[in-house]
Amino acid sequence: MKVVASYNVKGGVGKTTAAVNLAYLAAARGHRTVLWDLDPQGAATFLFRVKPRVKGGSTKLVGGARPVEAALKGTDFEGLDLLPADFTYRNMDLDLARSHSSGKRAGRALSGLLDELAGDYDLAFLDTPPSLSLVSENVLHAADLVLVPIIPTVLAARTFDQLADFVGTFEGDRPDVHGFFSMTDRRKALHRELIATLPGEREGVSSTSIPALAVIEQMAVRRAPLPAYAPSGPATRAYEQLWTDVEQILDL
Amino acid sequence: MLAALAPAKADRYELAVGPRRTRTVTYLDTVDWRLHAKGIVLSHERASGPGTLTVDGRGEENSTRLTESPQWPARVEQLPEGEVRDGVAAAMWVRAVAPVVRARVVSREVAVLDDERKTVVRLDWVELTGTEPSATRPLVRVTLRPVLGYGGAAKRVRKALEACGDFAEIEDGGAYATLLEAEGIAPEESAPPAISADMPADVAVATALHGFAGVIAVNVDGVLDDIDTEFLHDLRVAVRRTRSLLKLAGDVLPPELVRRYGSGFKWLGDATTPTRDLDVYLLEFDTLAAGLVAGEPGDLAPFGELLASEREKARRALARTLRSQRFTRLIEGWQAGLADVLERDWSEQDGRLTAEALAAERVRGMVAKVIKRAKAITPDSPAEDVHRLRKRCKELRYLLEVVKPVCDATAHRAVIKDLKKVQDVLGAFQDGEVQSHSLRDYAERLQSSGRPPAATLLAMGELSASFVTMQRQARHDLTGALRKFLGPATHERIEDLLP
Repeated sequence: MKVVASYNVKGGVGKTTAAVNLAYLAAARGHRTVLWDLDPQGAATFLFRVKPRVKGGSTKLVGGARPVEAALKGTDFEGLDLLPADFTYRNMDLDLARSHSSGKRAGRALSGLLDELAGDYDLAFLDTPPSLSLVSENVLHAADLVLVPIIPTVLAARTFDQLADFVGTFEGDRPDVHGFFSMTDRRKALHRELIATLPGEREGVSSTSIPALAVIEQMAVRRAPLPAYAPSGPATRAYEQLWTDVEQILDL
Repeated sequence: MLAALAPAKADRYELAVGPRRTRTVTYLDTVDWRLHAKGIVLSHERASGPGTLTVDGRGEENSTRLTESPQWPARVEQLPEGEVRDGVAAAMWVRAVAPVVRARVVSREVAVLDDERKTVVRLDWVELTGTEPSATRPLVRVTLRPVLGYGGAAKRVRKALEACGDFAEIEDGGAYATLLEAEGIAPEESAPPAISADMPADVAVATALHGFAGVIAVNVDGVLDDIDTEFLHDLRVAVRRTRSLLKLAGDVLPPELVRRYGSGFKWLGDATTPTRDLDVYLLEFDTLAAGLVAGEPGDLAPFGELLASEREKARRALARTLRSQRFTRLIEGWQAGLADVLERDWSEQDGRLTAEALAAERVRGMVAKVIKRAKAITPDSPAEDVHRLRKRCKELRYLLEVVKPVCDATAHRAVIKDLKKVQDVLGAFQDGEVQSHSLRDYAERLQSSGRPPAATLLAMGELSASFVTMQRQARHDLTGALRKFLGPATHERIEDLLP
C-alpha cells in the first residue's frame, strides 16, 4: 500500500480538496483507496457526508485499543473508504507521545496503524491538519509521497523549502516531496511569474496548477468530490494532471 | 417501485432511485447439466453490442467482454480464450453449452440515505422476466448491500423490509435458480423409468427398452446439428443397450415385435460406427500428437486433416440415415410396439415370470458365459477371442444396469466395480489392436491421396508403435485382471446381488 499525504503547515491552501479529489480519482481508476481525515476540523469527512465520529476517539485508536478497521466508513463512491475525523484528534499529539512511553517510537506510530490497512488497500491518502506537530512528523514518516499545495507567493515557496529541508534530515526512508500550485489566479502577475519560474528553480515543484475556481469551492455546498459533479471542467482536468504526477512518482 | 420499497425507509431514511437499466441475460449449460452439477453459472448478458460472458463458480466470478456476438450452442474451443473459458472448460468437457433460459432484466440501484444524505445502505432492485423458453410473470428480487461502517443501518432496513412481507427473498441469491423455478425447469437429467421386482418380465424388459428408445430419439437433433460428439455417443450406447437386452431377454416380448424391429438396431448401430470411431480419434488427437517422442506434434497435421475430412463425410452419411424414413419407422414403430406391452393390464400376466426371477435367471446365465470365455483366455489367445470376451462383458454390464433396481445395492456396486476393471483392460487391448490396424489403413489412404510429408508418415509409425506397446501392456495386465475377476470373491458377490 502506498501512502500519499496532503500537507502544508499553512491552512486554507487546498490540502483537503486535493486529498479528496485525488482519492476519488484513484478509486475511479480501480485502486482500492482509503482516505484518513486526520484534521479534527473534519472538512474531508464533511465533504463525504460522514459524521465526524470515531468510537473511542484518538486515544483508543492511537493506543491500539480499537482496531483501525472498525472505524472505517464506506463512501458513496465505489472503491473509496474513509477513516473519519473526530474532534478528539485535536489531542492526537498527546496520544502519540503516550504511545512513545509505551515503547513505540512516537514519530512512527501512525505508520504502524496504517500497516493494519495494508492488505485491504492499494493507496492511502492522509489529509493533515495545518501544523508542525508530532502528528505532522508522523505523517511525513508514514508517507511515500508528500503533496504540498503552494499558493504562488514568495513566502509559500520558502515554506516548501523548509519542509524539503526537514524531510532531508530523516534517517532511512524519506518520502518524495512534490509541490504543486494551488488556488492560482492567472490574472495576477506574481502568480504567472512564479508558476513559470519556480519549477525550474526548485527540485520537486511541478508546473501543475489548480486554479482558484468557484466550482472547487462548491465542493462544500454539494458535499461531493469535484469530478463527481463536474467531470469535464478545467478544474477537474487540473486535478487529473495532479493525479498523473502522483501516478508517475509512485510508479502506479 | 418506490411505493413497494417504502418500508426500507424504516421511519428515518430517504430513498434515492438510480437510473433504470435494461438488458437481456441468457443462462447456458450443457444438455446434461454439467455446469449446474459443478455449481457453475455461465451467463451471457447484453444491453448493446455483443455483450459480456460471465462465469460464476461458487462465488468466484470472472467476465469477458465479447468482441462479436456469440453463436449458441458452443463447444469450449468456440468460447473466447481467457478466464471465463478456463472456468468452464473442465466442467463442460467435450459438451457444448446452449441457452437454458433467457430473461429481460430491468434493474435500478436504490440508495438509502441518512439525515446527511449519505448512502448508508444500497438496495438492488431487479425485475426479471423470463422470455425463453416461455414468458414468465416479472420476478422481483431486492438485494441488500451494506455499506462499510453502517452495519446498524443495514440491519434496520433488512428488518423493515422483512416485516413488510412483500419480499420473500432479499438475501443474495441466484437469479438463475429463480428463473429455472419459474420456467418449471428441473436442472437434472431425466432418469428413464425403472423396473421393479414384481413387474411381469415382459413389462420390465419393455420398460427398459422404451427408456433406451427415448434416449435414441432425444439425441437425434444434437447429432444432426453436430452440436457435440456426446449426442452420438449417447445415441450409440442406447442402441447397444437395446441390442444387448434384445439378445439376452428379448424372448419375453411378443415375437412379432422383436422380429419386425430387432434387426433395425444392428443397421442403426453400424451406421453410427464410422463417425464415432473418427470422433474418438479426433478427441484424442492432441494428446496423441503431444505424446510423440521422435516426431513433432505438427508432423501429424496432414493426418489430422484427413481424419477431419473423413469424419465430415461419415457424418453426412449418418445424417442421411437419421433423416431416412427407415429410421423414423424404426423408432416410431418400436416405441409404439413397446407402449402396447406397457399398457397391457398386469393382471393378465398372473403366474408369469417376474422381473426379479428373469433378472436372476439371465444374469446367472450371462455370468456363466463370461466366466467360460474368460477362463479360456491365455497370454497367447488370438485378439478375436479377447474381442468376443469384451463384447460379452459389455452385454453383462448392460444387463446388470437394467436389473439394478431389483438387486442388492451394495453387491451391485461391487460387481460393477469388478467388471469395470476387467472392461478397462479389455478396452485398452482392443484400442491398441484397432488403432494400430486403422493407422496402417490411413497411411495408405494418405499416400494415395497425394504425397504426404515423410515426417507425417514417420510420426504415424511412431503412433502405431505406441499402440502396439499399449496392446502388449494390456495383454500382460489382462490375465491378472481376469484371474482376480474369476476368483471366488466375484462369484460370491454375484450370488449376493441376485434375489
